[in-house]
Amino acid sequence: MAFAIVQPIKVLPRLRPAPGYALIDQHGERFTSEDARGVITLYGFMPLDCGAECDQVTDTMVRVRDSIAERIDLGDVEFRLVTVVLDPDVTPDELTDAAARAGASSDPADDGWVWLSGSASQIENVVGLGFRRSPDPATWSPSYAIVDGWGTIRGEYRYATRMDNAEKLERHLDVLGGELRNRSGFATFAYDAAHAFQCYP
Amino acid sequence: MDIVTFPSQPTDNAAEPAAPARTHRARTLAVVLGVPLLVAVVVYAGFVLLRPHAYFGTVMQAPTPAPSMEDLVGIDGRPVDLAALRGDVVVLYFGYTFCPDVCPTTLAMAARAREQLGGDGERVHVMMVSVDPARDDVERVRDYVQAFDPSFLGATGELADVEQVAATYGVFFAEGAPLGDGYAVDHTATLMAIDTDGKLRIVWSPNVTADALADDLRELL
Repeated sequence: MAFAIVQPIKVLPRLRPAPGYALIDQHGERFTSEDARGVITLYGFMPLDCGAECDQVTDTMVRVRDSIAERIDLGDVEFRLVTVVLDPDVTPDELTDAAARAGASSDPADDGWVWLSGSASQIENVVGLGFRRSPDPATWSPSYAIVDGWGTIRGEYRYATRMDNAEKLERHLDVLGGELRNRSGFATFAYDAAHAFQCYP
Repeated sequence: MDIVTFPSQPTDNAAEPAAPARTHRARTLAVVLGVPLLVAVVVYAGFVLLRPHAYFGTVMQAPTPAPSMEDLVGIDGRPVDLAALRGDVVVLYFGYTFCPDVCPTTLAMAARAREQLGGDGERVHVMMVSVDPARDDVERVRDYVQAFDPSFLGATGELADVEQVAATYGVFFAEGAPLGDGYAVDHTATLMAIDTDGKLRIVWSPNVTADALADDLRELL
């Protein structure tokens, strides 16, 4: 009871399995949900080109990536950005151009920011049914999801104009990093208790 | 009247005043050492007795209803009705009958886990959903899964329906390398549990053992 009130440890909830998928990346290669295992992934969902709104999504993701590099410690676990483009059947060249505009590396060996496209049914399955976000470029709104290395969704976020989106994502990734760094030995039980008592930020 | 006098007890005048002090020190020592020890024992016992089960699998804190599979066909030839299994636990696995390695070992392990549950195992339904619907028809899936345990269930369907169901359960699959006269199917090999309330509750990595699976399932039941 005291643990539930004081909440000495914060954790991100384990919401549900992230969707399984096999999509095509900006280099024309197949990228699957299994490729994302073992890596903390920040997903962003947006049409290929939607002006300022898309810039907001990519700017937020860039800022989070920079914060991870500079001050958020995720332990030994890698971090990756994945942008799922809502327009169906976008070509790798178009993805490459969009990725370059957003500030992603053009080096195929650098998989720190993956841009993905697929058929309409694949996008519907992954974004609509899996991440439960609007997969329709006409009705979408900026949104993000944090998925841990076990393929579990740990946070889902809709863009909000009244708050700093990147700040919230950074704070939650910091919480996730804390669990990854410290969850061992006796602390395992404390983290289990934090999950059981829903000590969420 | 005779007056009986008792001889006085031999005394050690030097030691006599020290006896109460020694007793006091012993009591103090007992309190100083004993109380923390007692508290530690009580706390440890409470911790051991009251701590929640440490699941091997990843437990979802905010479990949502397991996605429907009504577009798939069960081994009885009818649409899969997960609601009919409500009250029991369903262990889900996505595999295929031509699978050379991980599918048979996983299903054999699940059969052992179910066996370990004894009578409670009857409330655990293991179901394999085929990720190779082009080759796995209902009969083939039924023969395959029931070779591991006659109680096992299975499902298959149209590719688009299987893709949709697999995506919502976090399972990827795609045709892989050539294998014999055919091909392998690359797929996610996790096991999942739908709890007695029909919610997707636990995900196990492929390296789960029969003992660990049985322990987790016992807790779910």
